[in-house]
Amino acid sequence: MSSSNTLLERRYAALGLMLIAPTVLVFCAVIIYPLVSAIYLSFFNIFTPTLEGEWVGLSNYTELLQTGQFWSALGNTLIWTVGTLSLQIIFGIAMALVLHQNIWFRSLARSLILFPYFISTVVAVLVWKWLFNDLYGIMNHLLISAGIIDFPMDFLGTMPNAMVSVILVGAWKYFPFVVIAVLARLQSIPDALYEAAKIDGAGPIARFFDVTLPQLREVLVVIILLRAIWDFKEFDLIFLLTGGGPINDTQTLPLLVYQEAFALNDMGRASAYAVVMMAIMLVFMIVYIRRTRSEEGS
Amino acid sequence: MAHLRKILFNLMAWSIVLAVAFPLFWMLVTSVKPQFELFRRPPTILPETWTFEHYWTLLADTNFLVYFRNSVILSSATTLLVVAVATLGAYSLVRFKYRGRESLAFLVLFTYLLPSVVLIIPLYLLLVQLGVSNTIFSLVIAYTTFALPYALWLLRSFMAGIPEDLESAALCDGATRMGAFRDIILPQLLPGIISTALFTFILSWNEYLYALVLVNSDSSRPLTTGVMNMLISSFNIEWSLLMAASVMMSVPLIIVFAFLQSYLTRGFGAGGVKG
Repeated sequence: MSSSNTLLERRYAALGLMLIAPTVLVFCAVIIYPLVSAIYLSFFNIFTPTLEGEWVGLSNYTELLQTGQFWSALGNTLIWTVGTLSLQIIFGIAMALVLHQNIWFRSLARSLILFPYFISTVVAVLVWKWLFNDLYGIMNHLLISAGIIDFPMDFLGTMPNAMVSVILVGAWKYFPFVVIAVLARLQSIPDALYEAAKIDGAGPIARFFDVTLPQLREVLVVIILLRAIWDFKEFDLIFLLTGGGPINDTQTLPLLVYQEAFALNDMGRASAYAVVMMAIMLVFMIVYIRRTRSEEGS
Repeated sequence: MAHLRKILFNLMAWSIVLAVAFPLFWMLVTSVKPQFELFRRPPTILPETWTFEHYWTLLADTNFLVYFRNSVILSSATTLLVVAVATLGAYSLVRFKYRGRESLAFLVLFTYLLPSVVLIIPLYLLLVQLGVSNTIFSLVIAYTTFALPYALWLLRSFMAGIPEDLESAALCDGATRMGAFRDIILPQLLPGIISTALFTFILSWNEYLYALVLVNSDSSRPLTTGVMNMLISSFNIEWSLLMAASVMMSVPLIIVFAFLQSYLTRGFGAGGVKG
């Protein structure tokens, strides 16, 4: 390092290393080791109940690329991610614009909107299963009395209903994240910009596209990247709502990993699925990390 | 005219808000209806007869209290461990200079985004080998995998917001580095620590996948898998009981939410979005 390295600076560096040591230790034990181990395990065939395995080289990977289940799970993951993410973004921005206005009891309205995001997925799923109940659920009752359907609908047991339901519940649960993030940004847009646009004769819609949206661009990119990563790896919501069914029509990659490891008892194959899934996510993760770092640098 | 438009806008806004909140309202209503009223056509919006019998059944006849206790122990232990480690770590990452510091920060962000299903198989094998599977302790270990990167990332941005001058002034006055940390940094960081702790607690309280895989005995099951088991294992699904369980399970979150909302939104801005 530099020649101006004084004794004090070196002692500070040592103290800094001591303070980070517990973090590094925990990271190595519970994150780095399992991560490397997952890649290593993907070269084995491991029978879950006995945990005995044999080296099979790359055959887990070559097999998984040939099986239809992997590709259909990847397809489902993409449909789910794109579907729920677009709804979250559109509905989230709209709701943030509404809550940015001076409506009655604004802080109460905000808390009510935030609530789905903070409750447990288990609670959300139980409530929605009850709403979706085929005999006594309020959803079927409302749709029938509104004349939209004639017979009670099976929301989770048939396709494409199951996928649509999962996407909608996902949007309901996670759109508040977009609302808070966009709302925070909206509050920092200077009023002068709107005043100037008004003087130029821009109406409310023109003001949204010419002033608000460009100002939101930065934060929206970050939100979309984060939510894409989180939606892609979502397990709880889909697993609990449909379990991947009917048949395998809502089975996404995380569910496939779980099924392979703990229902079909092949941990090696499951690890291979997990590693491939992570490789796909890596693209988004690297884009997000690079963005964050360049922002910090500037 | 402007007045009428304002009223119309408010009505529209509030009907959307109420529609979003409706499932939660329905959960509350269902939990205080007697069983027979659930099957009424058309359904009653407000209960005709109010009853708290489901809450009593839940507390007296099911394992709910055991699960609840487990969840409290699990989430508190995870939060304490993670916040303690992450506070020191974040201080080091922000205010000290040493080789590898940048790569560490990068690693934290990377693990913050990592999916649990990748880590879960090796972690399962590791915890079985250590002989601690099926305990609350094993879940505390597993929960640090997502809670620690998260807490570090949040605390790091809170720490970066504290002006460096204060610390330098204390050091000039002859304070030691750790003395300055205790007397200057910690009090300034306290709001950040509180919101990080709240978020970590909520994350642990709501976690499902690790609990599903690592624990399968009723004595150490947390609420998420415990309550879900009540749905799966019941012969005749009692929706009122399940809704009562859902309400009870959300009570700690409601308390946190009502009293500490400002801390929550602060943390949200610092970690979730600014990145």
